[in-house]
Amino acid sequence: MTFARQRRLFLILMGLPATVYVAAVAGGPVAQGVWYSFFDYNLQRPARRRFVGLDNYAALWADDGTRAAIGNTFAFTIAAVGLEFMCGLVLALLLWRDSRFNRAAVALMLVPVTLTPLVVGLTFRGLLNADFGLLGYYLRTWNFSDHGLLAGRWTALPTLVAIDVWEWTPLVALILLAGLKTVPVELVEAARIDGASGWQRLWSVVLPTMLPAVLLALVLRSMDAFRVFDSVFATTQGGPADATTTLMFQAVKTGLSFFDIGYAEAISNLMIACLAVLAAGFALLIRGANRRLHG
Amino acid sequence: MTSRRMLLALAIAIAAIPMGARADGDKPFAGMTLTVASQNDQFAGVLVKLAPEFQAQTGVTVHVDILSYPELLTKVTADFIGKTRAYDVITTDNVWSGQFAESGYTIDLTDWIKRDAAEIQPADIYPVLMSSLGGYKGKQVAFPFAGYANVLAYRTDLYAKAGLAAPPPSMEDMVADAEKLTDKAHGVYGFVANGQKGPAVAQDWMQYNNQLGGSLLAVDGTPALNSSANVASLTVYKKLFDTAAPPGAVDYDWGGREESFRQGLVANMQTWSVGAAGYGNPEQSKVVGKFAIALAPHGRDVPANYGVGGWGIAINASILPKQQQAAWAYIKWVTSAATQKEMAADGAGGVIRMSTTHDPELLKKFPFYSVIDASFAQGNGEFRPRIPQYPEIQDILGTAVNAVLAGNADPKAALDAAQAKAAKLF
Repeated sequence: MTFARQRRLFLILMGLPATVYVAAVAGGPVAQGVWYSFFDYNLQRPARRRFVGLDNYAALWADDGTRAAIGNTFAFTIAAVGLEFMCGLVLALLLWRDSRFNRAAVALMLVPVTLTPLVVGLTFRGLLNADFGLLGYYLRTWNFSDHGLLAGRWTALPTLVAIDVWEWTPLVALILLAGLKTVPVELVEAARIDGASGWQRLWSVVLPTMLPAVLLALVLRSMDAFRVFDSVFATTQGGPADATTTLMFQAVKTGLSFFDIGYAEAISNLMIACLAVLAAGFALLIRGANRRLHG
Repeated sequence: MTSRRMLLALAIAIAAIPMGARADGDKPFAGMTLTVASQNDQFAGVLVKLAPEFQAQTGVTVHVDILSYPELLTKVTADFIGKTRAYDVITTDNVWSGQFAESGYTIDLTDWIKRDAAEIQPADIYPVLMSSLGGYKGKQVAFPFAGYANVLAYRTDLYAKAGLAAPPPSMEDMVADAEKLTDKAHGVYGFVANGQKGPAVAQDWMQYNNQLGGSLLAVDGTPALNSSANVASLTVYKKLFDTAAPPGAVDYDWGGREESFRQGLVANMQTWSVGAAGYGNPEQSKVVGKFAIALAPHGRDVPANYGVGGWGIAINASILPKQQQAAWAYIKWVTSAATQKEMAADGAGGVIRMSTTHDPELLKKFPFYSVIDASFAQGNGEFRPRIPQYPEIQDILGTAVNAVLAGNADPKAALDAAQAKAAKLF
């Protein structure tokens, strides 16, 4: 057996326990979820269970609440992850140089990440209350918002994005900082001596070298942001109207308030499909980046 | 001799075992354990406090698992479906009655209530609570446990200062007063209600809708969300929010609404009677001595009827027969006149018995019990339709009414869309 084959076999064996575990723990429930999604099945009326084929999937687009949730989920994910990446990159570049101040700053920066999203949501709900909130009161009196940012049709979703950015940018910054530390200083110096501007060094040397870290940060945050629930639950309950209803919120409400298991499973399966496409896309990008870097 | 004495002692000890068991004949459930799933309302802490008392009387250990509203419904439903028997006794929101009656998840107590009527004294329980806190189409899927009345909390000082008659005798008067009492420059508002999407705004609007003569169901039991009376009441509700409510009220749930009253921001608030005791507590409230509780006003052309809600207490149908009997003993005890008085004195908040609201000691402590008594006498527990489709109807209305308040839709269009969705559920 060649070394390459031995290595491949070794890697497969190393990954086998995790694969078996995931198949055992998640495979069954996911398969059962797919099966239930073909039924009209409500836990409060279990005797009425009947096969409905793809009706639950057809209802995903027909139901305006779920239709809004699809749009809101994509808008939230793109906006939150995009902003977190940009802010995180700026922070990581600022903290690149190893100094006592920067080490202390990294430690303090991680405080928001340690908070439970539900607590973060409740805290911001209190802060943004238009009548009693520390921020909301002044925003109202200075005519920035009449009823509070979370109650405005056009401001509620951007506010949720801002809350997510506040909480998760430090994590993105930390991952990107780890990636920056892998960029050889000589490479950047050589580019500088060759006359590359700061922007050119960042775009053509630094970012391509740290691409695996960039993609890791994006995949982690995208998958997490796509499943946003806690902050919506704690702040807006999906309102005003359906302005902040997300797919996860809709699935939880359908499954655990209405106990409509068939439809809730259809929503969940749509999310799984979207996340699978997202993860596969990022995995291909990471593999490509690694190949370009390491040959 | 020693061994004979030992044998004799052993024989006496063995003989004493069945005697001991006979001595416990008045405690047939001794040694058993009951697990209660309780909503995190004011009564939950009192249930925990009372558990040792029940144990001393019966030998039954009571564990109270205090859960939030969505957690309670999810956990008990999972328990019912899986027949895992995690909970023996469950506190049940009155709007769940239809679901439980249809699914058979809780025991129908009708025959047991008849059998033990002498002990229970059903005549002491307000009839509206017996029917609406667990009764459904001839079944009693829960026993009434904590009844709440929809009442008006209003600011006596603001009414006196404005020279207005208080309390407002009709809903039309309250709407007019709310606008007159609003002084935005000084941060005083005439009205507050829940505006947040979901159960918060749906439940509050249902109260106003009932008092303004609206109804969510037609006579045949099908949804009639977009009736002209409902559209008119939603128009009034929207107007009150626009002209007389604190700016943040569009996003208030129960916590925000209650806080706005306790902080002295608002002059009128309809609320469940359970919170009334808190307004007089100087540690929580800035309106101590400046408020009163009155009957909730209704429209001039609407027959007097007052919203009733609250909690029943039910037995999991999956548990073993002896466990069911122990659970029934617990329910009879916790809803008895003596225990209800004790619970009321401890601040449990809910009321089911006339002997509680008429008790001189309690009346001295809670003068608003007379308002609760009058509300229950003409109570209406059906203004929120206690049908199996209630959760979906509440959600549909929660979105529609919130959309109107947020300015996304007009009342007619929002209720037309809501009606189209609700019709699909039937």
